[in-house]
Amino acid sequence: MEKGFVENGFIINLSNSKNTNQLIYELSNIMEHPDIRGKRICLKLGSIDLKQSQLLSIKALIESTDAEIAFIDTISEQTGASAESLGIVISKMGDEMQADAALNNIPEGEPVVMKEELDTEEVPSDDFEPEENEENKNKVVEVDSGIDVSEINPISTLEGVEDTYTEVSEHEISEIIPSEHYENEFERLAASEGLISNEDISKYILLDTGEVLPNGAEEHAKDTKALPTLYLNQTLRSGQTVTYEGNILIIGDAHPGSEIIADGDITVWGILGGIAHAGKNGNISSKIRALKLNAIQLRIAGLYARRNDTLNVPYVQKSNEFVPEEAQIEEGKIVIYKKLRRD
Amino acid sequence: MTGRVIVITSGKGGVGKTTTSANIGTALAKEGYKVVLIDTDLGLRNLDLLLGLENRIVYTIVDVIEERCKLKQALVKDKKNPNLSLLAAAQTRDKSAVNAEQLKEICEKLKEKNDFVLVDCPAGIEQGFQNAVAGASEAIVVTTPEMSAIRDADRIIGLLNTKEEITSTRLLLNRVRPNLIKNNEMMSVDDVVGILEIPLIGIIPEDTGIITSTNKGEPIVNDENSLAGQAYRNVAKRILGEEVPFLDLDEPKGFMAKIKDVFAKLKAKV
Repeated sequence: MEKGFVENGFIINLSNSKNTNQLIYELSNIMEHPDIRGKRICLKLGSIDLKQSQLLSIKALIESTDAEIAFIDTISEQTGASAESLGIVISKMGDEMQADAALNNIPEGEPVVMKEELDTEEVPSDDFEPEENEENKNKVVEVDSGIDVSEINPISTLEGVEDTYTEVSEHEISEIIPSEHYENEFERLAASEGLISNEDISKYILLDTGEVLPNGAEEHAKDTKALPTLYLNQTLRSGQTVTYEGNILIIGDAHPGSEIIADGDITVWGILGGIAHAGKNGNISSKIRALKLNAIQLRIAGLYARRNDTLNVPYVQKSNEFVPEEAQIEEGKIVIYKKLRRD
Repeated sequence: MTGRVIVITSGKGGVGKTTTSANIGTALAKEGYKVVLIDTDLGLRNLDLLLGLENRIVYTIVDVIEERCKLKQALVKDKKNPNLSLLAAAQTRDKSAVNAEQLKEICEKLKEKNDFVLVDCPAGIEQGFQNAVAGASEAIVVTTPEMSAIRDADRIIGLLNTKEEITSTRLLLNRVRPNLIKNNEMMSVDDVVGILEIPLIGIIPEDTGIITSTNKGEPIVNDENSLAGQAYRNVAKRILGEEVPFLDLDEPKGFMAKIKDVFAKLKAKV
């Protein structure tokens, strides 16, 4: 099996995934592991084609556990182009690596996590065994190269990649919004006061935004602070609906299958797993907040956004990490802000 | 075009109605037929989860009936197969939100534009069952080789026989475990068919892959290597009128077992 390492990080091989769904499924399984927190990650994506939006979700998934993508490794032009427009460093996989991988007959669909053969400490887990040893950190090489070239020639360095991908990326730019655009006034102010750094707030756009309200609902932006608030201290279970002509505050979880419908904002002090519809009468300034936004669908005024197909409930919910998230409408899309904690 | 409306029912809960609906629907769509799946289990819907379509549902069958949207708007297209669509049940309502007449009307409309309309029936024999059966002309009764499931299936078959519109009722035997049958710990296929006395349309072996497939939201018929998936594909073919032999569910024999077989045969000759 090929060997490689990234300083204080992992190489995650997802190139055997049959499709994007499987890829994200496996990745999110891996990301659940405590050892992966705060690490730098090299993603091997093989020939899988990823759109910008898909890669963005993957990035958000990785960053949600405080980890970051060091670089990705792909032979797909589309993925390359997507990565480039997102500013993710690409390393191209050599043919030898391919052959090598094939010879080694990596079990299909099984993510392989690699690390230099240091003193390893196996962590039992369902489908992967990360090998990590903090003490040996100083042994590893510089991150810039990403990899130990002396040991593994197959992963080539970053040169030459731009030439390969610039062409495609010109066609691909559609959804991506430049990062300066993300900041609103509050953040800019906070940043200038040194309260937050720009990295602290990440933002991702949910896939697939579409109309939901029947025609006729009038769009308006009314200040939700003026509305009354319904205060609920209970868990909402599947099949239960809460509707209120104002804001709704729930202390507890909202399970998948539940519905929360409000004229104004929806705030869940817990995991939001069901459907939430804020600003149901067309108030586009309404927001949805939760300690964990795992909603099947988020609806604000006349828009809806659905959860990524592969982020199934079981393993996302078991996470004990809660990072407040807030969804709102920006330029006709529902976007989610998330405050990242840096340990 | 006039499609066939098939209701998938069982009486007892947990025998695999929804799994069967999702898999037969997917298999028929894969064969190139236009299929609509209707989830009539209001308040306890699951079919969307099995198909991995939960996040796409905006309108449900109740919205259609209460005229908040058009029928076409409420049909959720499958992620992979454009031939397959789902009419989801409302999770926040109960069975009384719909009546048999309304469901029949929806089935009538859907069969004009589709080859197959599969109705996933809720457990029980009350309103939900009456609704689901209303528009159907064929029925598939799902059961497992357990006394309780068979007793309930028998009751359901009796009820189906009183419905004039239902012209064919066939049996699908789910979660069959060949080794248990071999040791006489489970009723055999013949036993079950003997009790229920309706034609068999499929035998589905117990498969742990079903659990994974449910969690992933991907029907097991998409897995070419799965025995249960193969069995469901065969059921779809039988619905289409093909003659497909039932799968040989005997586990592949080990080396020693084969030798024993040879000796047994020699002995028999002597």
